[in-house]
Amino acid sequence: MEHRRIETPKIGVFICHCGINIGGVIKVPEVVQYAKKLPNVVYAEENLYTCSSEGLSKIKEGIQEHHLDRVIVASCTPRTHESLFRATCTEVGLNKYLFEMANIRDQCSWVHMKDPEAATEKAKDLVRMAVAKASLLHPQEETEIDVIPSALVVGGGIAGITTALCLANQGFSVYIVEKEAKMGGMLRYLHKLYPTMRNASEVLNQLVNEAKASKNIEILTSSVVKEVKGFIGNFEVAIQKGDEKTVNFEVGTIIVATGATDFEPVGMYGYKKFDNVITQLQLEQLLKKGRLQNLKRVVMIQCVGSRQEGRSYCSRICCMTALKNSKLIRESYPDANIHIFYRDLQTYGQEYEKYYREVQEKGVKFIKYLPEKPPEVSLGENGKLNVNVYHSLINKQIEISADLVVLSTPLIQHEDAKELSQKLKVPLGPSGFFLEAHVKLRPVDFATDGVFVCGSAHWPADVGESISQAYGAASRASIPMSLKRLHTEALNALVDEEICSGCGLCELTCPFAAIRIEETKKGRKAKVIAASCKGCGACGAGCPQMAISMQHFTDEQLLAQIAALAEVKS
Amino acid sequence: MISQEGFEPDVLGFLCNWCSYAGADLAGVSRFQYPPNVRIIRVMCSARVDPTIVLEAFIRGLDGVMVLGCHLGDCHYMTGNYYTEKRMKTTKNVLKSTGLSPDRLLIDWVSAAEGEHFAALVKDFTERIRKLGSLGNETHLELHQLKKRLVAAKEALAQEKLRWLVGREMELVDSANVFEEKVSQKEFDQLMLQIIEKEFSKRRILQSMQGEALSIREIAQRVGASPREVLRNVVSLEHEGLVLFVGVEGNSPKYRRAGG
Amino acid sequence: MKESGSVLVIGGGVAGIQAALDLADRGFRVYLVEETPSIGGRMAQLDKTFPTLDCSICILAPKMIECYRHPNITLLTYSEVEKVRGSAGNFTVEITRKPRFVDEAKCTGCGTCSQKCPIIVPNEFDMLLGDRKAIYMPLPQAVPRVTTIDKDSCLYFTRSVCKICQKLCQAEAVDFDQKPEKINLNVSAIIVATGFSLLNPSVINEYGYGRYKNVITSLELERLANASGPTGGHVTRPSDGKIPDKVAFIQCVGSRGLGRGVSYCSSACCMYATKEAILIKEHKPKSEVFIFYLDLRASGKGFQEFINRAKENWGVLYIRGRPGEIIEDPTTKDLIIFCEHTVRGEVRRLEVDMVVLCPAFIPRESNNKLSEKLRVKLDEYGFFKAEDASLVPVDSNIPGIFTCGCCQGPKDIPESVAQASGAAARAVEVITLTARREG
Repeated sequence: MEHRRIETPKIGVFICHCGINIGGVIKVPEVVQYAKKLPNVVYAEENLYTCSSEGLSKIKEGIQEHHLDRVIVASCTPRTHESLFRATCTEVGLNKYLFEMANIRDQCSWVHMKDPEAATEKAKDLVRMAVAKASLLHPQEETEIDVIPSALVVGGGIAGITTALCLANQGFSVYIVEKEAKMGGMLRYLHKLYPTMRNASEVLNQLVNEAKASKNIEILTSSVVKEVKGFIGNFEVAIQKGDEKTVNFEVGTIIVATGATDFEPVGMYGYKKFDNVITQLQLEQLLKKGRLQNLKRVVMIQCVGSRQEGRSYCSRICCMTALKNSKLIRESYPDANIHIFYRDLQTYGQEYEKYYREVQEKGVKFIKYLPEKPPEVSLGENGKLNVNVYHSLINKQIEISADLVVLSTPLIQHEDAKELSQKLKVPLGPSGFFLEAHVKLRPVDFATDGVFVCGSAHWPADVGESISQAYGAASRASIPMSLKRLHTEALNALVDEEICSGCGLCELTCPFAAIRIEETKKGRKAKVIAASCKGCGACGAGCPQMAISMQHFTDEQLLAQIAALAEVKS
Repeated sequence: MISQEGFEPDVLGFLCNWCSYAGADLAGVSRFQYPPNVRIIRVMCSARVDPTIVLEAFIRGLDGVMVLGCHLGDCHYMTGNYYTEKRMKTTKNVLKSTGLSPDRLLIDWVSAAEGEHFAALVKDFTERIRKLGSLGNETHLELHQLKKRLVAAKEALAQEKLRWLVGREMELVDSANVFEEKVSQKEFDQLMLQIIEKEFSKRRILQSMQGEALSIREIAQRVGASPREVLRNVVSLEHEGLVLFVGVEGNSPKYRRAGG
Repeated sequence: MKESGSVLVIGGGVAGIQAALDLADRGFRVYLVEETPSIGGRMAQLDKTFPTLDCSICILAPKMIECYRHPNITLLTYSEVEKVRGSAGNFTVEITRKPRFVDEAKCTGCGTCSQKCPIIVPNEFDMLLGDRKAIYMPLPQAVPRVTTIDKDSCLYFTRSVCKICQKLCQAEAVDFDQKPEKINLNVSAIIVATGFSLLNPSVINEYGYGRYKNVITSLELERLANASGPTGGHVTRPSDGKIPDKVAFIQCVGSRGLGRGVSYCSSACCMYATKEAILIKEHKPKSEVFIFYLDLRASGKGFQEFINRAKENWGVLYIRGRPGEIIEDPTTKDLIIFCEHTVRGEVRRLEVDMVVLCPAFIPRESNNKLSEKLRVKLDEYGFFKAEDASLVPVDSNIPGIFTCGCCQGPKDIPESVAQASGAAARAVEVITLTARREG
């Protein structure tokens, strides 16, 4: 589609002095004279500062007076100035993709200050290369796609409900798909929330009721995602509701808020072998139902099944959960003797560290154990549990008897996450949690456009953190939906279907799921999803058939730049 | 090697927009001086650089090519530079089969904060190429002969099989989960070298044949390879339909290029 | 699409940048106010980021430039919020633009003025380890790319001589007569993202910061390790410029302390110390690096694995314990650390070439004033307080005013970024609700 060529391009070259930054080293007038003689160049001039308002007017005048259809500015770096010059071209009706830059400051005058001759020659080369590329530039239309202003939220826990409400309040329609019969996720099993000690069920009920009352939210319980087709703006979703029926709808964005589940420590520390060895989550249930009686001695063991071979990560929330539950126990049973065996306490920030001190003050005892010498749980003759541990501070093995041993186990990914990740074309990371687009700067985005993540599906998170991320995901998802029409820079991969063999290597190479193999009348062919393609070119440079080119960085253009550079030599 | 008096190398650099081009800009802002021999072409990602484009630069007579990207793990497009690394490794090996030093192709990483590093790289690389001398000086070949070899190398890098294998390297070597078998890096590299040699040799054979019908021995003489190897490759080319068997003359079977 | 409604974002660090970009992409007008001459904040000062070791400025600079270019963002750098009145949906804000004595519209950022300026002063951006001129750009990637005159050191302002910058500037951008400028804005919502300060560790007297040359802070190390920093990326000892063979990091310097410093945990130090330890090892693999810690707080994504790698692949040594004292050898300027090893229960003596202190994250001094202007509550430590940290973590006590990032308390970058997007979403909710009520 891109190979129409305008008869003879009319190129204008504007060469900047940048005060003395370029002009002090490079003989700018000489470069201007040189540029005038290059093929297709019909106009060339020098400016004191091309980026000043005066310089920009000169470009506009040049385009109009000399009917320029390509503009080159030889000045500084396109990284900071390309958009300014492009905008200037656009103002007088020149497509912004017909603009090209030659960097004769940052990569020439500034780095060859002591060799003005060589710098001037290099500047000429750089201008000649830019002219060669500009001669082959094409005007580009940016792809526009419609975005359906509705979202699918997968998971009806605290993160999912929060993100849904936030979007609904902004006027978008939202579907929440929850696989359980009831909404609420992990919060349904929790008793109190740290550090506020609010009742989890109160918090949850309020949010669920708000979601149910919202006219913009449709809730589908006992439902799972069956199939997802399409891409940002236009996902076609099929939901399996119970055993009965499939529900189909279209959404513009998808948010993964599927949470996590707790690890069951079978075979560890006497779990399932001795009656009174339970997990922290089971303890929550007992506390919630008020089923604990006569507690005298409690031992909690942290990092059960985490921070060890096979599951190396720290699950983040277990230390605070243990602190919270020991505080609750001490409040109900002031005499209860509680020991927490820990490795490193994760009470980060202001509130949690304060909470830790309060729990210490309430008389809960903390013993640090070494991973190489973990505690051992055994059943004593009196029917009580004994916990043996090496106490590193006093360099002694100690034994503590317990009525109840509570194991803090990590949050782990759901078993069905793999399936969901494949359906949505988003990856899972090494610990099994969903992998975001960029660890630092895109924490709630997926690399696949239009799909987002929040809460414990991404990484174990407490309620406050899940909610922060849920709002974050809502913000990110709201952007394309509010725009209604999405347009992307015309830097896409272009597939020549005549040559494409449908081998699928491009699909494998692309981290953005922006190129996919589809059945066509001509057989299996690669299709570029313009809205998702980032224009990196990785697919093209690896295509076995050499069937893929890149807009604005075509093979033809790159080869012309090389030829122009080599021209003088050969 | 004797250095060439007065030789000024022409160096081309492909720099990715996000890190290495920014690093080069920073070298400028910081006024780090470096030799004026390098000319830069900006690409969005180092993974845009097709191996055949690198060869084209040498065919055009440039003396050295630098491909610079973000540090591994820092790629703006997440995985692009890993592909660059694999592709350029292969390109270096192909370059080697033409008789040129693979050192004429530099693949390295420059972050946006590494202006000084960029300047040092250009300096070292220019010096390295200066020592190697011009393409002709290094290979002791006439330019047109060298050019033919480079064209064969470029054609080899355009071969489907080679490109396909380069594209799967990471998967084949790194993750045993996808495929039942896991290939060790050593095994893979060996396999790759064999394929490169074969593909290069095949392109050289095709070049040598032009319009005439030739015996294996004649071809072997022209390309400077053993008749045994040539026979193997001619048979393979025959399978691909690129070479035709035209009959036996004396005791020698004769072949010519298909389609012309 | 253009939405009606606008938002004021206070603070141009990574949190403010993210909030501004989300809102601007969403179609709202954003005023991004930053008190220093360039946006970028703390993250711009970092060399690498954990746990990926991404180059910090490489990933941040494109976002900074995006803010500058975005048609919906008005950047107000070198500016401060003076007065705020009104309520959610309708705030009036008065802002003062401090004179930078360089016309932002005319300056092309060519840097000739800085080159020729005769006055050299320590650069705040480099933690005073490097230099800048009296007319300067704080960092090479500064946004906006314009220079600023530091009135306190400029020869013209101090002694009425020089003016060489004005003579040299062919863009005629230098303007010694520039006056503070007042701007009045009307916004629907406000997001506070003013970040944090670091405790001056000289208050922990026994560690000798300020007295011993080779005791430095972690942020100083970031600048030393940075390729565009004052030493060109070579981590060297301040006393003699030698590359150290033995370095010790001390965690919780003024954090988790009872009595001095602050009582809370600064959250990010265990991880950034691990990162910096790896950077030192990368620069000099044979060096020995120790990290003194109390609890290793590595609960974020990939953090524990990062620490495992530091231990196993890089040989970083972690010692549990809080050093009691550091003594300097007056001739070699080497340092002797005394510490009780709590896991083994013995007193240790460790001699090192350099000590890196990881100081407590503390609230910005300006928080008090700003909170008064906004009528927003601070917590007992002086950070901006969330109305309910677990349920509405970005809402302040004043409807329509939100907070995100480290102005709320210590956080790492992804947490700040996610929260900044979250604050943006809440601001949009407010705007939508107000519009509905009015419409």
